[in-house]
Amino acid sequence: MKKTILIADDSESVREVVSFTLENAGYNVLVSVDGEDAMKHLNGGDIHLVVTDLHMPKMDGISLIREIRSNEVYKGVPILFLTTESQNSKKEEAKIAGATGWIVKPFMADKLLSAVQKVIR
Amino acid sequence: MDLFKVKFINEAADLINSLEESVLSLENNRGDSALIEQIFRVMHTFKGNSNMFGFDKIGEFTHHLETIYDLVRAKKIVINAEIFNVTLLSVDHIKNLLKDEKLQDANILKTHTRLLDEIVGIIKAYDKNTVRNDSQGSEKVSSDQLKTFHISFIPDTSILLRGNNLLYLIDDLLSLGEGKAFPNIDRVPSLKEMEYTSCYISWDIFLATSEDEAEIKEVFMFVEGECELKVKCIFQNGNLFLGNRFVLEVDKNSLFAGYSSVENLLSIASQKEITVDLSNVADNKSAHLNKEASSIKVSSDKLDELMSLVSELVITQARLSLFSEESHNAELNVIAENIEKISRRLRDNTFNICLVPIGSMHTRFKRLVRDLGNELNKEVDFIVEGSETELDKTIVESITDPLLHIIRNSMDHGIEKTEDRIKSGKPAKGKIILRAYYSGANVHLEIIDDGAGLDPEKIKRKAIEKGLIQSDNKLTKKEIFDLIFLPGFSTAEKVTGISGRGVGMDVVSRNITEIRGDITVESTLGEGTKITIILPLTLSIIDGLLVRIAQTHFIIPLSSVAKCYEVKHEVFVNNFKELIVLEGKQLPYMYLRDEFAIHENCPEIEQVVVVKYEDKQIGISVDSIVGEYQAVLKPLGKLYRSVQIISGATILGDGSVALVMDTNQMIKQLSIQHKNKELAYEQ
Repeated sequence: MKKTILIADDSESVREVVSFTLENAGYNVLVSVDGEDAMKHLNGGDIHLVVTDLHMPKMDGISLIREIRSNEVYKGVPILFLTTESQNSKKEEAKIAGATGWIVKPFMADKLLSAVQKVIR
Repeated sequence: MDLFKVKFINEAADLINSLEESVLSLENNRGDSALIEQIFRVMHTFKGNSNMFGFDKIGEFTHHLETIYDLVRAKKIVINAEIFNVTLLSVDHIKNLLKDEKLQDANILKTHTRLLDEIVGIIKAYDKNTVRNDSQGSEKVSSDQLKTFHISFIPDTSILLRGNNLLYLIDDLLSLGEGKAFPNIDRVPSLKEMEYTSCYISWDIFLATSEDEAEIKEVFMFVEGECELKVKCIFQNGNLFLGNRFVLEVDKNSLFAGYSSVENLLSIASQKEITVDLSNVADNKSAHLNKEASSIKVSSDKLDELMSLVSELVITQARLSLFSEESHNAELNVIAENIEKISRRLRDNTFNICLVPIGSMHTRFKRLVRDLGNELNKEVDFIVEGSETELDKTIVESITDPLLHIIRNSMDHGIEKTEDRIKSGKPAKGKIILRAYYSGANVHLEIIDDGAGLDPEKIKRKAIEKGLIQSDNKLTKKEIFDLIFLPGFSTAEKVTGISGRGVGMDVVSRNITEIRGDITVESTLGEGTKITIILPLTLSIIDGLLVRIAQTHFIIPLSSVAKCYEVKHEVFVNNFKELIVLEGKQLPYMYLRDEFAIHENCPEIEQVVVVKYEDKQIGISVDSIVGEYQAVLKPLGKLYRSVQIISGATILGDGSVALVMDTNQMIKQLSIQHKNKELAYEQ
């Protein structure tokens, strides 16, 4: 059974690259443009993994992570966030909020896949 | 990856524009921390994307720029004019970089180095240590030498709460080489005390691998801080597993107890997955629907093609309607009417898709006003009203340059110097308003400034000087203002680099006429100037009145038709003043039979279509009125460009061509003719 991954990123090009890579690797991919949008998807169906950017308009990544972790239904879903090397404080914040792991931007396909495969198969 | 690069560049343009806009807003509202946050976020996204798509130069450049805003954000430096200038110059530079990533152009390279120096300068001024060396490429040295490690992995009981799957981690670890994992169930409590979300198991893993310790730790990078991890090299030279004794030894000690609990964990995990997967099937559909609710981006080529297809459809539909009418077949009539209804809706929908809000261009204007304000030392507020008003994208594209020119003029000639403003009792800060609103089938754009206004006397003198009018011409104020649209007219006493090269307003007016728009000026000396541009909502299809002269069909835009009258042919013969009396009012008219040199089969009773434009009305004589018609406008060839009273052509249902008349031009021409005639009479 194909696993479904939800991407939340306000940048279209990142969404495209990530979903292209993941779809090629055999995952179902849903995309959303920010935290609020992502929550709609989460409420709409089973998601096996959330890949989110931290900086987004409306609801940012950290709030999204907190929101997911405090939801009884899907609080166990793994969450990876996209980050740049320079953002160590953000990384800590995201981890404390309950993120599973992270992917460092810029990334290549193999890096993305290896991170994803650390949490879902 | 190239496909993505194109995507990135398209998106980058958007990001840069929104950045520019935010920076400009921030300049007017320096304390707005939400804006600073937004700027930082956009820069950050932009940097990340640039790096990801291989635009390293842009990434590096934006990184430094972002550092400034990070400091601003943290209130470590105060934003000042220097930072604004550098940021805006950088925005321009990044636009260039997108075209020339490799810095092949010497000028761009020069700008690049200069701006980088300035940016780094600002950061250094705050703190020398802030500038970080980005090249962190730590070389990984891995030898082929196999080593055997003992890894003790004791996760916190709460580790599963973050969605980690520890079995995957252990799989990952074992994939690094050859090894075996032994679970310990010492911590597993009695069933009563057990929390199903907690992890009680720990692992001892023996691994023979050529990777080093760092690589092993990287496997656990996501759970670092949530577990106790010890990695110890127990054998430097090779795989201990080769010696069966070691493996047997380990097995004996921990195998029996261990495996049963791994199985437990596995079965819990797999049960969880099964339920997930089943519900997944049902919800997939709704999830996909959600996905499509948001907007999508379509390349403009595709829209153009859609537009031209719809145009073709409308033409074909017209043929069908004509055919069905002639066939007197009731069933066919119904179908034809339905198709007409649907194609009309399709046409309207497609138009809608091609509309973009005026607001999409206002960043450029704001920027212009800001830059010019600095250059000319004038303080000006630029206000956009009705930025949600929508126009066809091709119109927006062709209106941008004329608008830039008009705003430039307002800044340069319109708004006075600050001291002059204060002297004449005006607020020190000038104001330029760009207002857009719908009016019928048109969109009105007004550019209003509260500057010095136009001096009719000065304009008239200038026009006489330049030989554009005769000294005894009697002109209304409005007609005098219209003179500024004549080629070769420039009132600027001193030609500046910004405006006043005398090629300005006539080009503006020509550009606007080319898209069937119209431009007028109103001005009160000392109070300001208002320039109004009236634009059609769309360029490609118009509702028209189909008329006929002898065998030729013409289209008159329905939006300008006021009334239709029947007039006897004799009225037009022996008419010296070229005026007809309709409902007791004298009206100038254009006798189209003469205009187009059609002389055969003149009917006894002709039709006069009264068309209006602003406050003027004229009559147009035709043989008969056929009816309403949706005309798909096709441009005429270059050879016909000089024919001003025709704005295009359309193809009729039977395949013949009908010319579309530009009634605004007709009215203008006619009023000029009449003016000249009156003058001739007076002399």
